Amino acid sequence: MKDLNWGLIGPLLALQVVLAIIGLISLSKTEQVRGPKWMWVLFLIFGNLLGSVAYFTLGRKEF
Amino acid sequence: MPLLMVKDLHKSFKGHPSVNGISFGIEAGRCVALLGPNGAGKTTTLRMLAGLLPQTAGTITFGGGSPGTDYRQYLGYLPQAPAFYNWMSGHEYILFAARMSGMNAREAAAASGAVLERVGLGSAARRRIGGYSGGMKQRLGLGQALVHRPRLLLLDEPVSALDPIGRREVMELLRDIREETTVIFSTHVLHDAEEICDDVVLMNKGTIAVQGTLSSLRAEYSLPVIRLTTGKEDSAIRWLEALRHKDFIEEALISDGKAVFNVTDVELARRTLLQEAVELDIPLLQFEAGSSTLEDLFMKVVGT
Amino acid sequence: MRRLWALYLKEMLESVRSYKLIWIPVVFIVLGIMQPLVSFYMADILAFSSNVPAGLMENMERPAASSVMAQALGQYGTIGMLILVLGTMNSLAGERSSGTSELLMAKPVSSISVVAAKWTANFTVLVIAIGLGAAGAAYYTVQLMGALSWRDVIAASGLYALWLLCAVSLTLLFSAWLRGPAAAGLSLLLAAVMSLVHGLLPVKLNWMPASLPGMSAGVLADGGTGVSLAPIVSAVLLIIICIAGASLMAGRNKLPV
Repeated sequence: MKDLNWGLIGPLLALQVVLAIIGLISLSKTEQVRGPKWMWVLFLIFGNLLGSVAYFTLGRKEF
Repeated sequence: MPLLMVKDLHKSFKGHPSVNGISFGIEAGRCVALLGPNGAGKTTTLRMLAGLLPQTAGTITFGGGSPGTDYRQYLGYLPQAPAFYNWMSGHEYILFAARMSGMNAREAAAASGAVLERVGLGSAARRRIGGYSGGMKQRLGLGQALVHRPRLLLLDEPVSALDPIGRREVMELLRDIREETTVIFSTHVLHDAEEICDDVVLMNKGTIAVQGTLSSLRAEYSLPVIRLTTGKEDSAIRWLEALRHKDFIEEALISDGKAVFNVTDVELARRTLLQEAVELDIPLLQFEAGSSTLEDLFMKVVGT
Repeated sequence: MRRLWALYLKEMLESVRSYKLIWIPVVFIVLGIMQPLVSFYMADILAFSSNVPAGLMENMERPAASSVMAQALGQYGTIGMLILVLGTMNSLAGERSSGTSELLMAKPVSSISVVAAKWTANFTVLVIAIGLGAAGAAYYTVQLMGALSWRDVIAASGLYALWLLCAVSLTLLFSAWLRGPAAAGLSLLLAAVMSLVHGLLPVKLNWMPASLPGMSAGVLADGGTGVSLAPIVSAVLLIIICIAGASLMAGRNKLPV
């Protein structure tokens, strides 16, 4: 097992967190989303990259 | 030379005629109401005038130019249910509309501040349009139509969707605006037309039923009728009964000191009746000659 | 020109307010840097998740830096294209269905400047996304796998971006008269069909825009000996046709149906 290079993996994780946070900010500001809001909160927090992409592409009515 | 000339304008959608050969001219400075029930073809007409829909046949001539010239830069247009970019603020939208009308950045900034004050959105200008009420959106719509000082303003049902307060605000604005530019606005409410317009074009089923100035229509479509009320003295009742036999009275309805006479000649009848009333010292309480029946006309056109 | 610039600023403002200008580049960076990381730790991931015999692992060759970079760009051909197309689908269709185009087109604006502004705005997002994404991918690849020629990376990314721009332009064209999702579906389908057809007859159809991804990988592999001008020209032509067609259709379809 190689040692994990956190200097390189860290930014990857950080960017995904940033994406989720932008999604949550957007979610808190928009009134209309497809489906219930709490579902998208779960998607954004636990859905990693795909959860965030799903929210940004499918969740919002105004893209 | 009228500002706008419309000649034999037709529009059909998939073979169904929506506007079926209408012609009218509008002089600069007039305020014209396009009146008619829903489905009369008012919106289609205005959209053709705004260059949003190509006509099936007929010509539109603006400002004496040749038909078919793009005159959108002289036009302000407000659709029935204006949709804005909800992510913009009111100020950003007016600025955008001014830029789209061909103003440069400095002109646009100056004009948009003034127009926002004018439509009463000065304090809400920095807020997102998404949070505006219906009345505010309608006033923003007027603002974007006015910002470049258009020569012709086209408004599609500008007050129909508003509550009484919003309606009053917009009507006050229109009264003001009609002083400085030519206005065409559509409505299905006769009262709105009477309130601010000079001319009426009454449409039904894609054609023009009646058109003319409001005053001439009032005169033309008024029945020769005289209504009067007297006191209940015997002399007065006797006088009213005696009037039945006058030559110029075709039909009389008398009850309890109130009389309605259909007459052949309103002028003659009025002169004679008033003279007699003075001579016989009849206590006249009310007198009305040639009452307007524009409402009846509108209902008749709309109802059929 | 004055209106074109104001229209472009409006499109970019919308990209900022809808977070599109942030989230699409972030996703591209994540996709780009994930590929070298996954390649680098592949052996460990396999060992961790399954019972691969130990001997196999030691013989597994580490892929070359250039092929890892090509794989990273390949990510943009699938998920990346999907995201860009979904981000473009409502450009014209959304204005029509919401009714904002009725107000816009009553102004003395030509439909070509509306379409050109939208295309340029989507182009801007695409360039930023691919630029940052490819830079991230290249940096990680160099750190983990070995040296890369920066010139080749830029050329390969540019070729890939042109292919994606074709898909974005097609979406813009279709959204001039179809509803957004239909426009997205149709342009993705068309891009897939072009790739498929090109895959069946790669030699005869090497002039097609669909050969750009392959050419991009070729640049990374051998420094660009196999680059030809034909697919670039045909891609540019396709894009011009899309913009012209979209302008024509947008001029006819101004009102919500």
